[in-house]
Amino acid sequence: MAITDVPILSMLRTKMNWAQERQKVLSQNVANSDTPNYRGRDLVPPKFEDAVAVSARPVQQVSLEATNPGHIGGGMSLGGDGRYSTEKGGYEVAPTGNSVSLEDEMIKVANNQMEYQAATALYTRSLNLLKVALGKR
Amino acid sequence: MDFMKSMAIAASGLKAQAGRMRIISENIANADSVPETPGADPYRRKIATFNTELDRSLGARVVSLGRVANDKSDFRLKYEPGHPSADANGNVKYPNVNSLVEMTDMREAQRSYEANINVISATRRMIQRTIDILKA
Repeated sequence: MAITDVPILSMLRTKMNWAQERQKVLSQNVANSDTPNYRGRDLVPPKFEDAVAVSARPVQQVSLEATNPGHIGGGMSLGGDGRYSTEKGGYEVAPTGNSVSLEDEMIKVANNQMEYQAATALYTRSLNLLKVALGKR
Repeated sequence: MDFMKSMAIAASGLKAQAGRMRIISENIANADSVPETPGADPYRRKIATFNTELDRSLGARVVSLGRVANDKSDFRLKYEPGHPSADANGNVKYPNVNSLVEMTDMREAQRSYEANINVISATRRMIQRTIDILKA
């Protein structure tokens, strides 16, 4: 078993990938906060319900179907590119057609950062757990 | 790495707002530029426009400073018969720059600039966190 197959680690990696992608989307929103007709976007949060149910399996993995025994299994994490959603029900749409509210975006950026920090902190702890098992401490 | 892309996108926002700032300062500096010859047109106020464009290498929609348009509103007329640029009726055309509007615009540009800076520092902190995993 590869170290990346440890369920908690792969779940955290999915979360981190998602936060990374979300940061990209949010910075797009902020950069375009004065562009006419720009609609703010956000990422759909990752779903972990299935992952908890089948905790032995790596989370959110899409793999190519092997229809032939000679096929090599290729895997690809979905965490990197979740689905986009256009923000709806925002606070206001400016007369220029721009729906980005800088205040909202700032809160989201801070939130995203906190979530990322939580994920990295947990990742560090989980690695420490493995180190304990290895007898390194 | 996606974080670098986030920073590049925010940097495009910084550049666009800085360009807007340049145009605003041009307007403010020329707020009282009268025509050189009698009856001619004075400085015309400029307006910055923003465009969203898809950056293929980033795979994201960045912002860029679009065409710099001219404000088509009327010039301010002042009755100053002794002025060298006054026309036959004694009126001098002053630029259609309203410094109050420019100031508000400047504040807005400043606010957007700060928001982009905020995104960059948040991204930097996230990168730092990732590196901290190695240190643990």
